[in-house]
Amino acid sequence: MSATHSHPSGVLFISVVILVECKLLGMKTPPDAGVILQGTLDMLILRTLVMGAAHGYTIAEVIEHTSENALEVEQGSLYPALHRLEDRGLVSSQWGLSENNRKAKFYRLTGKGRKELNAATGRWRRMTRAIGLILGESHE
Amino acid sequence: MSFRRFTNRTRKDEDLAEEIDSHLAHAQDANSARGLSSEEARRQAYVRFGNSRSTRERVWRYRSFPWLEDLWRDLRFALRGLGKTPGFTIIAILVIAVGIGVNTAVFSVINAVLLKPLIFPDQDSLVDLMNTSPRGSGGGASVPKFKIWREQTSIFSKVAGFDFGGAGLNLTGGDKPQQVQGVHVTQQYFSLLGAPVIQGRTFTEAEDSPNGGRVVVLSYSLWKSRFGGDSKIVGSTIQLDGQPYLVVGVISKSFVTDTPTDLYLPFQFDLNTQDQAHYFMVAARLKPGITFAQANAQLKLAADEYRRTYGPRAMGPQDGFGVVSLAEAWVGDSRTSLWVLMGAVGFVLLIACANVANLMLVRATGRKRELATRAALGAGRATIVRQLLTESLALALTGGMLGLVLGVVGVRLLLAMAPTYIPHVGENGTAVVPDMHVLLFTLSVSVLTGILFGLAPAISASRPNLVAALNESSSRSGVGFRTGKLRSALVISEMALALILVIGAALLIRTFMKLQAVDPGYDTRNVLTMAMSISGNRFQKTAGVAQLVKDGTDKLTALPGVENAAAACCLPLDRGFGLPFNIVGRPKGDAPFTGGGGYLTVSWNYFNTFKVPLMRGRMFTEQDNGSGPGVVIINEALAKQYWPKGDPLKDRLLIAPGARPAFAEPARQIIGIVGDTRAAALDRKPDPMMYTPIAQMPDGMTALNSRIAPMFWIVRSKVEPHSLANPMAAALLVVSGGLPVAHIRTMEEIVVLNTSRQRFNMLMLTIFGASALLMAAIGIYGLMAYSVQQRSREIGIRMALGAQASHVRNMVIGQGMVLALIGVVIGIAGAFGMTRFLESFLFDVKAWDPLAFIVTPVLLSTVALLAVWVPAQRAVRVDPMSALRFE
Repeated sequence: MSATHSHPSGVLFISVVILVECKLLGMKTPPDAGVILQGTLDMLILRTLVMGAAHGYTIAEVIEHTSENALEVEQGSLYPALHRLEDRGLVSSQWGLSENNRKAKFYRLTGKGRKELNAATGRWRRMTRAIGLILGESHE
Repeated sequence: MSFRRFTNRTRKDEDLAEEIDSHLAHAQDANSARGLSSEEARRQAYVRFGNSRSTRERVWRYRSFPWLEDLWRDLRFALRGLGKTPGFTIIAILVIAVGIGVNTAVFSVINAVLLKPLIFPDQDSLVDLMNTSPRGSGGGASVPKFKIWREQTSIFSKVAGFDFGGAGLNLTGGDKPQQVQGVHVTQQYFSLLGAPVIQGRTFTEAEDSPNGGRVVVLSYSLWKSRFGGDSKIVGSTIQLDGQPYLVVGVISKSFVTDTPTDLYLPFQFDLNTQDQAHYFMVAARLKPGITFAQANAQLKLAADEYRRTYGPRAMGPQDGFGVVSLAEAWVGDSRTSLWVLMGAVGFVLLIACANVANLMLVRATGRKRELATRAALGAGRATIVRQLLTESLALALTGGMLGLVLGVVGVRLLLAMAPTYIPHVGENGTAVVPDMHVLLFTLSVSVLTGILFGLAPAISASRPNLVAALNESSSRSGVGFRTGKLRSALVISEMALALILVIGAALLIRTFMKLQAVDPGYDTRNVLTMAMSISGNRFQKTAGVAQLVKDGTDKLTALPGVENAAAACCLPLDRGFGLPFNIVGRPKGDAPFTGGGGYLTVSWNYFNTFKVPLMRGRMFTEQDNGSGPGVVIINEALAKQYWPKGDPLKDRLLIAPGARPAFAEPARQIIGIVGDTRAAALDRKPDPMMYTPIAQMPDGMTALNSRIAPMFWIVRSKVEPHSLANPMAAALLVVSGGLPVAHIRTMEEIVVLNTSRQRFNMLMLTIFGASALLMAAIGIYGLMAYSVQQRSREIGIRMALGAQASHVRNMVIGQGMVLALIGVVIGIAGAFGMTRFLESFLFDVKAWDPLAFIVTPVLLSTVALLAVWVPAQRAVRVDPMSALRFE
C-alpha cells in the first residue's frame, strides 16, 4: 500500500524540484517554499555523499537506484546543484580517476555539508509528517 | 550569498564542460556494459543527459549578474551598430551635444548664482536688515539705525555695516597715483562674513571709533598688484588722499563679495549722532535658534522705540524694520531672468530630443527586418526595447559628454556677453566652474534625454508585424502608419516649441528696440565722463569743491575739441540721491513734507553740456554761487506733479527741511524748469528732479557727498570723445593738485551698460530661438525628405500615369505645411500661456504683442516652406523609369 503511494508522489515531487530550480536560476521564488524544495535535490546529493566521495554520474545513478528508479534525476539540474553546493562550501571537489579508469570530478561531503544534511533531513521529516497528517496517512 | 559564485567564471565553465564529458563517458561505459553497440551507447548517453550546452549556460548565468551582462552585450551591440551608420550617429550626437551644451552652460550659471549663492560660512543665519514700508522694502541704513539694530542682542549675535566703495580713494606715494575702491566697514564685518585674514588682523573696536586713527586692511588683489605681496606690509603706512594710513592686515583671496574692493577702512561712526543720512547697508547674523519671524517681531519693537526716540519724521507710522535672507537679498532679480533662460534652453533640448527621436525612427524603420528577425528568433519585446534604449542612451551619453565640453566653453561665452548684473559669478566668472552639481546635472539630463528620445521609437519599433516585415522584399517600403503618425507628432511639437521660443525672442527684440528709441531727455552723443574721488580734507567744505569745479571746468572748456564742460554729483543712469522738500507757504497738512524728488548738485553749465532743454525761466549762471541767493531748477515732472495749476517760478523750495545745521538748506527760489530726463533707467518714467548749484551746497552735504560718492566731470566734445580722455585727465590732475580720474566712459557707453541686461536677455533668447528654429526646420526637412525618398516609387507611378510635376510638388509641400501649420497653431496657443513669464522683462511691449504674434508665425511658416521646398523639388525630379525599375 505505502509503496504504490510513494511512487507517483515521488515523481511529482522531483518535477516540482526541477520547476523550482529553473525559477531560482532565472527569477524570484517565494522564499519559504524555495528553501525547502530547492533543498531537496541538494539533500539527496548530500545524503548520497555520506557513503563516500563520488562523481556526478555515480551520484545520479545512486539516487535513481536507491529510490528504486522512482526518482529520476534530471541531469541538467544535477551539475548546477553540485556547483551551488560547492560554492556554499557544503561539498568539496577534486579531479581524480574513476572506477572505469576515467578522469572524473569527485565530490566529498564537508563538515558544514554534514551539518546541513542533518538539518535538511530534519526539516524534510517534519514536512512529510505534516503533509502525511493532512492527507490522513498514519506513520505509526 | 557567497561571492565565490562570481569568480573564475571561464575556468569553472571549462571545468564543467570537462565534467559533463566525463559524465557522458561514464554513461556510455554503463550502456556498453549493458551490451549496446558503442554508437548506440553513445547516443543514449547523450539523449539521457539532454542539452549539455544549456546546462553550462544555466551554471554560467547562475554565476553572473544577468542585467549587467545583458547591458554590456547590448552596449557592444549598440556601439557596433552606431559605428556602422556614422552619418546618423554624428548628426544625432551633435544635435544632443548642442542641446545639452546650452543646458549645461545655463545651469552652471544658475548653479553658481542661485544654488550656491554665497560663500560665507553658515550663511543661512545671515540676514540683510531692511526698512519696510507699505510701498515695499529696501536696504539702507543711517548711523542711528545701525546703533539700534546693534542693540538687538537678543536676536543678533553680530551686526555689521558696510558701503559699496562710494567715492573711491586716491592711493598716492608710488610712481603714479591710483584711484582705488575703499569699502567702509564696521568692526564686526570680517567676523560676520567669516573673511579669512592671511596677514595681521582686522580692525579693533577702538580703531572703529571716532578718532580711532587711520588704519586700513588690504584686499589680496591690491596687496599683490600694488605692493607685490610684500610680506612686511603689515605695520607699514600707505598714502591715501595724501594721508598716512597704517596697514593692519590683509584679507585672503578666498573672500569674495560682489563689490570690487581694493581696501577696507573703518567707518568710525559717532554712535550718538542724530544724522539721518542713509549711506550704507547693514547685515547681521541671527543667534542660533532664532527664526526670521522671531527676528522680525523683535525688530517691530525696535522700530517703535526708534520712532519714539527720533520722531515720526525719521520713521513714519507705517514704516518699520525687517530682515531678509542675505542670499535672497543679494541675488535679487537676476533669479527670474535665469529661470527664464533655463526654460528656454529646456525647450531647445526638447526640440533636440524630438529631432533625434525622429532620426531614431528613421533608423528603426530601416532596421525593420533586422528587428523582425530578432523577434522571430525569440527576442521578447522587452529585449528589443532594451536594446534600442541602450543605443539611444549610448548616443545621449556621448552627446552629453560633448555637451559638457560645449557647455564649459559656452558658459565662458555667455559670461563674456553677460552684463555685470549677474551676481556671484566672481571676477570674470571665475566662480562659475563645472563642479559636482553641474556634472550630475549633465549626466541626469543626458540619461533623461536618452530615454526621452529613445523610448517612443523603441516601443514603436518593437511592435513589428513579423510576417509583413519579413516578407517585404526590401527595407524600401512605405512608412508604417503608426511611425508615420509618431514622426508627424514629433515634427509638430518641434514647430510649436520653436514658435514659443521665437515669439519670446521677438518680444525681447521689440523691447530692446523700444528702449533704443527712448528719448532720454539729454543728448548722449559726444559726451565723455570721468569720476574723481574728492574724499580728501580739502573737499570737506563747499568752498573748496566749488573752487575745484570752477578751475576744472574752465580748464576743460579751454581744451581744444571741447564744446562745454561741467561737473556733477552724479551721472544719468548711474547712482543718484533723493531728498524731501517743502514748498514754502504751502500747507502740508499732517504730512512731514510737501513732497520729494531726485536731488542733483551740478555746475552751472550742466544743462548746456548735456543739452537738457530749458522750458521756462533761466538756467544757472556762474553768479549762482555761495554769495548769491539760493536757487533751484526743477524738471517738468516735478512741476506737473506739485503745480498742476499755478506757477512754480513764483515759489520757493526748502529742501531737506529739519536737517541739522550743517545740512540746513536755504529756501531756494525756483528759477527755471528743464525738460525731463530718464535719470534712473531708460525704461523708467522720468522722476521728478531738483537741481542745485554745487557752489550753493551746505557744507555738511558737501562733506557727505565727498565721502560717499565721487564727483563726475563731463565734457561735450566737438571731436571723437575718447580722444579727449588723456588731455582731460592731465588737465584735471593739474587743477586738482594731483588727483587721478577713473571710470572714463562716454555717455553712450553708460547707456549701453544701462541696457545691457535687456541686451543680454534679448541676445540669449534670440540665439536659443534661432537654434530652435533651425532644429525645427531640420526636423521638418528630414521628415519630408525621408517621406519623398520612401515614396519615390509611388511618385514615379503617379508621374508615369501622367501626374503633373506641379501637382506632385504641391502634394509634398501641402503635406509638410499641414504639419508646420498645426505646430504653429499649437505654438501660438502655448505662447499665449508662456509669454506672461516674460512680462517683467518687457518695456512698452505687451506680452501678447500683436506684431510678435503675427510676424513670428509667418517667419516660422516661411522657414518651414523653405524646408519642405527642397524635398518637394526632389520629388518632382523623380525619374519614373528609374523609380519603377529600382527594385
